[in-house]
Amino acid sequence: MSNNEVKLHSIKRNDTILKVVIYIVCIIFSIMTLFPFVILIANSYKTSIEVQESTLSLISKHPIQNLKFNWHVISSKGTFKPMVGFRNSFIVATLSTILNVYFSSLTAYAITAYEWKLREAFNAMIMAVMMIPGTVTMIGFFQFAYKIGLVNKLSALILPSIAAPMTVFFMRQYLQASLSMEIVQSARIDGAGEFRIFNQIVVPLMKPAIATQAIFAYVGSWNNLFSPMILLTDGNKKTLPVMVSLLNGDIYKTEYGAIYLGLLITVLPLIVVYAFLSRYIVEGVALGGVKS
Amino acid sequence: MKKVIASVLSVAMVAAFATACNGGGETQASGSATGDTQATQGSDGSETEATTTAKQVKTYGTGSEKINLWSFTAEIPNMVNYYVKQNPDFASKYTVECTIIATNGGAYQTALDQALSAGGDTAPDMYAAEAAFIIKYSQGDMAKYAATYKELGIDVDAKIKDAQIAGYTIEAGSRDGEVVALGYQATGSAMIYRADLAKDVFGTDDPAKIEEIFGANSGSWDKFWAAAAKLKEKNISVVSGSGDMWNVNEKAAQTGWIVNNQLNIDPKRAEFLDIAKKLKDDGLSNDASGWSEAWFADMAGTGAKPVFCFFGPAWLINYTMNEHCGGAKLGEGTFGQWRVCTPPVGFFWGGTWVLGRKDSAKKEGVAKLIEWITLDTSEKGLQYLWANGLVDWDEDPATAVAKDTVASAAVMSKSDGKVDFCGGQDIFPIFIKGNQYASAKAMTQYDEGINGYFTDAATQYAEGNLDKDAAIDAFKTKVNDNLSF
Amino acid sequence: MRNKKLVDYAKYGYIFSIPFILAFCIFTLYPVVYTFIIGFTNLKGAGNTEFQFLPAVGKNLFQNFMDVLKAKTFKQAFGTTCIIWIMNFIPQIGFALLFTAWFTDRRSKVKGTGLFKILFYMPNIITAATMAILFQKLFGYPIGAVNQLLGHLQPGRQPYNYLINNVPIKLIIAFVQFFQWYGHTMVNLTAGVIGISPEIFEAAEIDGANRVQTFFRITIPCIRQIMLFVLVTSLIGGLNMFDIPELLVGSKQGNGAAITTNMYIRNLAFDGSYLYNRAAAASVILFLVIVALSAVLFFVMRDKDEAKIKKLKKAELRAARKGL
Repeated sequence: MSNNEVKLHSIKRNDTILKVVIYIVCIIFSIMTLFPFVILIANSYKTSIEVQESTLSLISKHPIQNLKFNWHVISSKGTFKPMVGFRNSFIVATLSTILNVYFSSLTAYAITAYEWKLREAFNAMIMAVMMIPGTVTMIGFFQFAYKIGLVNKLSALILPSIAAPMTVFFMRQYLQASLSMEIVQSARIDGAGEFRIFNQIVVPLMKPAIATQAIFAYVGSWNNLFSPMILLTDGNKKTLPVMVSLLNGDIYKTEYGAIYLGLLITVLPLIVVYAFLSRYIVEGVALGGVKS
Repeated sequence: MKKVIASVLSVAMVAAFATACNGGGETQASGSATGDTQATQGSDGSETEATTTAKQVKTYGTGSEKINLWSFTAEIPNMVNYYVKQNPDFASKYTVECTIIATNGGAYQTALDQALSAGGDTAPDMYAAEAAFIIKYSQGDMAKYAATYKELGIDVDAKIKDAQIAGYTIEAGSRDGEVVALGYQATGSAMIYRADLAKDVFGTDDPAKIEEIFGANSGSWDKFWAAAAKLKEKNISVVSGSGDMWNVNEKAAQTGWIVNNQLNIDPKRAEFLDIAKKLKDDGLSNDASGWSEAWFADMAGTGAKPVFCFFGPAWLINYTMNEHCGGAKLGEGTFGQWRVCTPPVGFFWGGTWVLGRKDSAKKEGVAKLIEWITLDTSEKGLQYLWANGLVDWDEDPATAVAKDTVASAAVMSKSDGKVDFCGGQDIFPIFIKGNQYASAKAMTQYDEGINGYFTDAATQYAEGNLDKDAAIDAFKTKVNDNLSF
Repeated sequence: MRNKKLVDYAKYGYIFSIPFILAFCIFTLYPVVYTFIIGFTNLKGAGNTEFQFLPAVGKNLFQNFMDVLKAKTFKQAFGTTCIIWIMNFIPQIGFALLFTAWFTDRRSKVKGTGLFKILFYMPNIITAATMAILFQKLFGYPIGAVNQLLGHLQPGRQPYNYLINNVPIKLIIAFVQFFQWYGHTMVNLTAGVIGISPEIFEAAEIDGANRVQTFFRITIPCIRQIMLFVLVTSLIGGLNMFDIPELLVGSKQGNGAAITTNMYIRNLAFDGSYLYNRAAAASVILFLVIVALSAVLFFVMRDKDEAKIKKLKKAELRAARKGL
């Protein structure tokens, strides 16, 4: 009896120690995480000179005035149109994310739930495509895009996301662990079509997986810089990061304060989207999938 | 908790974009914009294209003939804007559509190469190239797309003579003796030194005497080292870092990195290994690399030790030193303490060239623009306006207009080059000489890459990580592995 | 009976794969085939698109491949890539697992886990370029935050140039890489854990398993599939590493201490000589290496798993049939 009490007591003490350790580690990591954002914000209210002379300092002589000036630089250049850039970025990132996660789920479902002749071969092909290094193939893609006139078409950045091998891989792994064919079978008995089963039963099952992959796809698409720089040459088609790249201004005069403000403007919407999607990772949306 | 964060962020974002709308002068409200995008969301991608057919951001003129101008900053587009406003005839005949792509990660060159080789209506009729890659477009792989100025219909030989265009800009912009590219700004360089320190150490701050002490245009660093030793006695570094001297030595070479398809190390460039080592071992510099926080501190005189001089063109004075000297009038920071004189070895640093495309259908219009930018010596010509700081190209009162050096010596000699930052010294005579002494003979399309490998070898040698032979070997291996020479 | 049933549905496997295959054929197939082909040609020079196969110009068909494999820089780059990847991956997976264990633990009621989970992914939102500048300034020389801090702690200390020396360069890159990606890995793993049915954990609790036991005996085996994903994609990402080393140090600093395989490929293609053919050959070699290493991972992670899944499937089918 008393032995048990000691045991319980020591478990409780261990619990407290563990909690303290967890908090300390988490707080250290949180500070580390916030550091880049703090610097981003701090530099957006500095002059170009202040940024160059001490990027990591949080102090500026005239923060409000500088912020106004940096905003003036951004808005007066004519190449940085926040609304146009936001719109383009939003269209590209949102549509490519939707296509990415939806069709990847569909493809993964096709590989996991059905047994068809070329299944293994198709799966192997997807894995292989995922492993192709992109540097040189990009040259081929740009060449192709310029030849067939895909330049200045947002769709050139959106439609390729239908074939996203890495997402398919994740979805497949996820389905293999979480999909219960029992549910599918019972839906079939209820007379549901295969496409409807996928949309109404499988997709809801995959919510956590879809949310995580959507976050990655969104962030990747939003921050993508090099391809849009090459493919979107028209000032009205440029995305936010491309517009920020144009704040370099005159050849020898770079407005660093304005660039940081531009970067901050670029990252804010992303944080909002992330905060929205992360709901699904954080709360662990209750799963209907019975798998025991 | 996270809901609070999420909502705070949402509010912040909406606020940011609401201000964005007002500030940017956009008539669209943020609400309706979101509505738009949501409307397109449901449909396929093609509809997205149809909704954004507004004019290019920087489009000048109203004429029916379209000229595509490609550039990597807004500088040339802004000039064209000015020209179009001044020349209604041109504006009614042509429309100039400007495409600007930043040089980040080589994006400008990648896109330009694709656009030039794809050809057709959307290909650039006129395009800009920076010193770092001009050779590729004037003499190298992409030279075949460039029209000679004669093909454009410019009487280039006579005009060059009249304008006394800096020789090195012609060298860099010529293909088989025919001019295909010229610049507006000239970047022949000077030794920019601190007058107060000069007086202290050498008893004089007179540019004529100082350049004598440092061996102006002697092509040798011997006198420079003697002076550096004297400066060291007073705990003054002669330069901020070895990179400052590399800029000089690189251009001082008489032969390029690649000669007859073989790697060639010009003696002037090889000498840099010893220069870097000497600076490090003798403690003659502050060991700062270009564009670092330490480099800027040295301009303000707040680095580890005071720094005596920088090597550079007028833009370094106007846009970099002026901003980082720690003040805006005499007595603040190092403002007004700087003077310019001829450096021991002539060189240039940076610059932009303008080219026309061979197969362009708008050669006449392109020629007009190019001639005005690169060869017009009149007081309405770009170079005169540029040298005297007469036009605010940006149309932005917040940006200061600086007096910059230009390619035409004829223009410079009738312009006023007195600059407060240099204590009222007229800097143009020194820079005219700087333009003369500079050479572009040793440039190749491979320079950017090879320079990087070489300066790293010098750093490794100076730091003592590698001995001299090992450093040279490592350099040769890298050039062979990466560039196949 | 069973086979017949599956055949009925097999066509849906094809139908559901059509969008992927179409998009792949339109946008990716041409560049991939093009890359593969030019590895065997003499294509080089900016803007050049005309090429001949090497035997046509009197060279060995595999000349580009041999040139790449002979290059000292390629070997160095491959070694560097592996070293940096391992240095970043071990702490990355370690911390990701640790945080996953902490944040998905149903028993310890650590408050604010939601907030931490959200925060830890955030370094991944910042672009590599911004991150690189930050760390350049942090380790600036002779003036920089770290040098100044150490100078305060130890007066008279000479500033140290971190970003031109081999070991610190690799450590810093590995750290930044870790910093940017541990949250990403954690999110993946968490998604896997969330996918596990809560009943399994409840059962474990009832059986008296403690937390550590639950994590290692229940959680980890249940997220094996996701673990495999994390391992394989980290391997691919690691061997393709480019952004951080390129933007933070570049291939021309520290005697090539930061040069990764992908940076070398980029140099071949864009560093002045525009050796597209050799860059393509190097890409194919890198691809083969990735395939080989991934195959090993699949093999190691697979056999037991596959058997289990097959058994489960059979059981399910049996159950389903019973239901019929």
